[in-house]
Amino acid sequence: MMLSALIAVLFFGGIAAWMSEQRNPNAPRWFALATLALEALLAGWLFAGIPAAEMAVPATASSWLAEVNLLWISRFGIGFHLAADGLSLLLIALTVLLGLMAVASSWTEIDKRTGFFYFNLLTCLAGTVGVFLSADLFLFFLCWEAMIVPMYFLIAIWGHENRTYAAIKFAVFTQVSSLVMLVAIIVLALAHYRSGGALTFDYVALLHTKLDSNLGYWLMLGFFIAFAVKLPAVPFHTWLPDAHTQAPTGGSVILAGILLKTGAYGLLRFVIPLFPEAAHRFAPIAIALGAASMLYTAATAFAQSDFKRLVAYTSISHMGFILPGAFSGNLLAMQGAVVTMIAHGLSAGALFMIAGFLQNRLHSREFGEMGGLWTAMPQLSALTLFFVMATLGLPGLGNFVGEFLVLAGLFEASPIATAIAALVLILSPVYALIVIQKAYHGPLQNRPVLSDGSFRELAALGLLAAALVWLGLRPQTVLDVSKPALQSVRHTLNARET
Amino acid sequence: MHSDALIALLPFLMMTATAVAAMLAIAIRRNFALVNGLVGGGIVLSLLSLAPASHRAPVQVTELLRMDDYALFFIALLLLAGLAVLGLCHDYFKEREGQNEELPILLGTALLGGSVLAASSHFASLFLGLETLSISLFTLIGYPVEQRRSLEAAVKYLILSGTSSAFMLMGIAFLYAESGELSFGGLGRFIASEPAMNAVMVSGVVLIVAGLGFKLSLAPFHLWTPDVYEGAPAPVTAFIATVSKGAVFALLLRLFVETGGYGFAPLRPVLSLIAVLSILAGNLLALLQTNVKRLLAYSSIAHMGYLLVAFIAGAAIAKPLVAESVTFYLAAYFITTLGAFGVVSMLSSAQLEAADMALFRGLFWRRPYLAGTFTLMLLSLAGIPLTAGFIGKFYVFTSGADGGFWGLLTAIIVGSGLGIFYYLRIILAMAMEVEKIEPESEEKFVGLQSAVTLVVLSLLLVWFGVFPGDLIPYIHALAGSFGK
Amino acid sequence: MIAEASPVSHILPLLVFFGAIFALTAVMLGGAYFLGQRHRTPRAEEPFESGIVPTGDVHLRFSVHFYLIAIFFVIFDMETVFLFAWAIAVREAGWTGFIEALIFIGILIATLIYLEAIGALDWRTRRQRREADRRQHGSDACTGP
Repeated sequence: MMLSALIAVLFFGGIAAWMSEQRNPNAPRWFALATLALEALLAGWLFAGIPAAEMAVPATASSWLAEVNLLWISRFGIGFHLAADGLSLLLIALTVLLGLMAVASSWTEIDKRTGFFYFNLLTCLAGTVGVFLSADLFLFFLCWEAMIVPMYFLIAIWGHENRTYAAIKFAVFTQVSSLVMLVAIIVLALAHYRSGGALTFDYVALLHTKLDSNLGYWLMLGFFIAFAVKLPAVPFHTWLPDAHTQAPTGGSVILAGILLKTGAYGLLRFVIPLFPEAAHRFAPIAIALGAASMLYTAATAFAQSDFKRLVAYTSISHMGFILPGAFSGNLLAMQGAVVTMIAHGLSAGALFMIAGFLQNRLHSREFGEMGGLWTAMPQLSALTLFFVMATLGLPGLGNFVGEFLVLAGLFEASPIATAIAALVLILSPVYALIVIQKAYHGPLQNRPVLSDGSFRELAALGLLAAALVWLGLRPQTVLDVSKPALQSVRHTLNARET
Repeated sequence: MHSDALIALLPFLMMTATAVAAMLAIAIRRNFALVNGLVGGGIVLSLLSLAPASHRAPVQVTELLRMDDYALFFIALLLLAGLAVLGLCHDYFKEREGQNEELPILLGTALLGGSVLAASSHFASLFLGLETLSISLFTLIGYPVEQRRSLEAAVKYLILSGTSSAFMLMGIAFLYAESGELSFGGLGRFIASEPAMNAVMVSGVVLIVAGLGFKLSLAPFHLWTPDVYEGAPAPVTAFIATVSKGAVFALLLRLFVETGGYGFAPLRPVLSLIAVLSILAGNLLALLQTNVKRLLAYSSIAHMGYLLVAFIAGAAIAKPLVAESVTFYLAAYFITTLGAFGVVSMLSSAQLEAADMALFRGLFWRRPYLAGTFTLMLLSLAGIPLTAGFIGKFYVFTSGADGGFWGLLTAIIVGSGLGIFYYLRIILAMAMEVEKIEPESEEKFVGLQSAVTLVVLSLLLVWFGVFPGDLIPYIHALAGSFGK
Repeated sequence: MIAEASPVSHILPLLVFFGAIFALTAVMLGGAYFLGQRHRTPRAEEPFESGIVPTGDVHLRFSVHFYLIAIFFVIFDMETVFLFAWAIAVREAGWTGFIEALIFIGILIATLIYLEAIGALDWRTRRQRREADRRQHGSDACTGP
């Protein structure tokens, strides 16, 4: 019941925020904040309720830490099946944290239709939490789609100058790829039915479907495309720079921090366990795609003159680590992928917030309009430097741990791929330092006095910085919590190989 | 005639009596509200009479009509849609000049024709039902005689519909010439006994498919659709889009299942081509529209294409699943389409038909509930989850995947991608900021009956989207008994 | 129908027939086109009627009422055909048939009443009717537009 409450709180909080606008245009902000606080409490309670010993026990895919299973549409064997393991819990924690950040960063930025804004923000979060918790493929698809529509509205209504184009591009990319996944889901369920099982969409039941290897490969591709678009991996990434650039700050934070993680989560949760054999066959291609993503978009990033667009490309570059991490087939790399997911959520979220703060002050995202900001706003600039350092993989911060683990794990699978992927460690300082140089150094342009970060802004960024330091210095907690889930993923992979 | 048969026919008798009574009521006193109420009451009575009829189902009433669960469900669906259209008409026409009292009667006769189609098991009743439906539609489309567009639409529909009926009659004649049978069952037995169909039979089947394709506005026969949708008054457009197409599709499925038309291999590529063309042409042309009614017209062409995919899948999969998919999809499509045109109808005033996209700009901030309803309907048309439209699409995908029609599924995916583009474009227009709000658009004309209709439709849409399990068992049961 | 006839030979007469129709029409129209003379003078455009100069346009405007009455005639006349069919089989149809025929006639009568009430059988134009009304009831009575 706890798990359904996690979704319901966000959804009904969103409705309450929407309704409250009629009374007072400021009320939705407080409602959204209160909803997320409540969500944080619930998630914390859920964490605390699970004994630490149970966390460490290697779980098989069917023994969840918490579970709700109700029959929903009996005709197709569809259940309202929510289940959480360590991986989902970590990502839900990330969702709540970045949700708070999104509310904080849109506190003054959004002054029109606040009620509808926070409704969309919270329903988008509700859909994301649903994605992380679903253990029924139909329900998963439903939540997957439920994230898209609110995000579309966030971009289309509150976005910047070119928002219509960006919003529609985002919707069409994600919608088409998710329909491919829907077909794959249905065919998988039918295949399970034909091979003698009941007609069901339940994740656990479908895990043991016997698939003809050719069919398995196609189905795996169907899932992979949907997740690769969300991730995004290189041939499917073109929607992301536009969507990120045009979205309002809160939308960008959620998009980069959480929505991209659903793609990574999908790879770990669905593609590999459901189709281990096909995933194994596909691994070289996936690793190559990941490496291509990293290098190509890192190279593209430093050609950008738009702050948000640059950060968007670095996002793609970092999410490229997920593919080799997930497909290399050893625990170290998978754990690295999870750490990267969280660290990237924190650092990219922070950079998008900073871009938003700058845009509120300068009314521009162009580097040409910036320069010399360090003297005008030293505190905000120092924080920017911190997050940029995190992005380029400074040891001691979360991103470093993730990237290191992925590369170390990948080395076991393919040293050549590791060598190529490691090249990105040269490229990322280049684009990261460009940000600092273009925006913060040099002469200050003539402008009215720029205020430094407000308490709200600095506090939000400080929280993220603290989280990154903690992740960098003590990643063991994250590794421990996610280990059982990832072990069972790897287990299915190895079981099929032999 | 047995009493069973009479009771099974009760819905038809009720509808006929309603039309005659309403006509006499006009002869005594012209009053729009009175006639509207009379026809509405008649439809409700017909709906109630479905209950005793369903206890006796399945009943074969003469050779012409087969009142089984399938037919009764569709009749109920058509009647409910008719009731919704009547509610919309009430508010749409009450402000308009002219004699509007005949409109409800024509809706009643069109419903009668549609219901006969849903139950027909014989080419004679097929043709009778189809013509009763079409002739009522000609008049309904051209009802506002002072408007040039309506008249143009009516004349176009009259001529093209007449041509297609002629095609179909020719096809029926060919089949009869070869088999000597006019009932679906008899034809099925004849086809089963023949090793291969000869050229006359083939041309007959093709002509019938062309005729029905016209009524369903499938791709090469779709040219009338946008003009007629645009020209007809909005509630009538809703009626054409739902009742006329739903009834014909119900008939098409029965025709194919009972005559064994699925076994007829040469037809499969033809139907597949029609489906793909409908999906692509409908969606691509919808991209170019700036008129909401025309846009919905093209989108309806695409939707009939999606539905046809589930229908074609019947060649490879169990017939009950096809019947189930088609029925659920149509029910969802009815709710959605009625809702969408209902919004257009509520926005229209006596002076102006609200079809131009510009009129929808900023609607969210002017009339949030109406815009919200329209958004819901468009999301359902786009097949976004938590709406009935998604479950319908899920059914289509399931049928297609079960039969292994990958090419057709690809066409649906491409079509849906295009579709989401133009549905979202309308939603976006409604969400746009408008600096200057014209004073006359501020007057909020709200009709009670339309409002109630839209609220009910929205609730149904979400209800069947979230809890499809409440509707599926009925459809599953009727599909299970269908064709046996 | 010969069971073993192949589709092609079966449809052959039909094809020949269609072909003949096309050929004949093509010969008639094409022959006139290629062999005939063409004049472009204004006189050539005038209709030729035994050398008499035409007077006025052929497009006469009839009152729509003529068509209405004509259609009523066709419809009611057609309905009578059904009654003939019933009359031949009146004994075989029995009481059920009789009741059905009664219902049929009843609907026809209802239609007639309706048509009479809406003034469809009234030969006068709208203006004539309005003037007649005014003469009868003074100036207030007016039932329709």
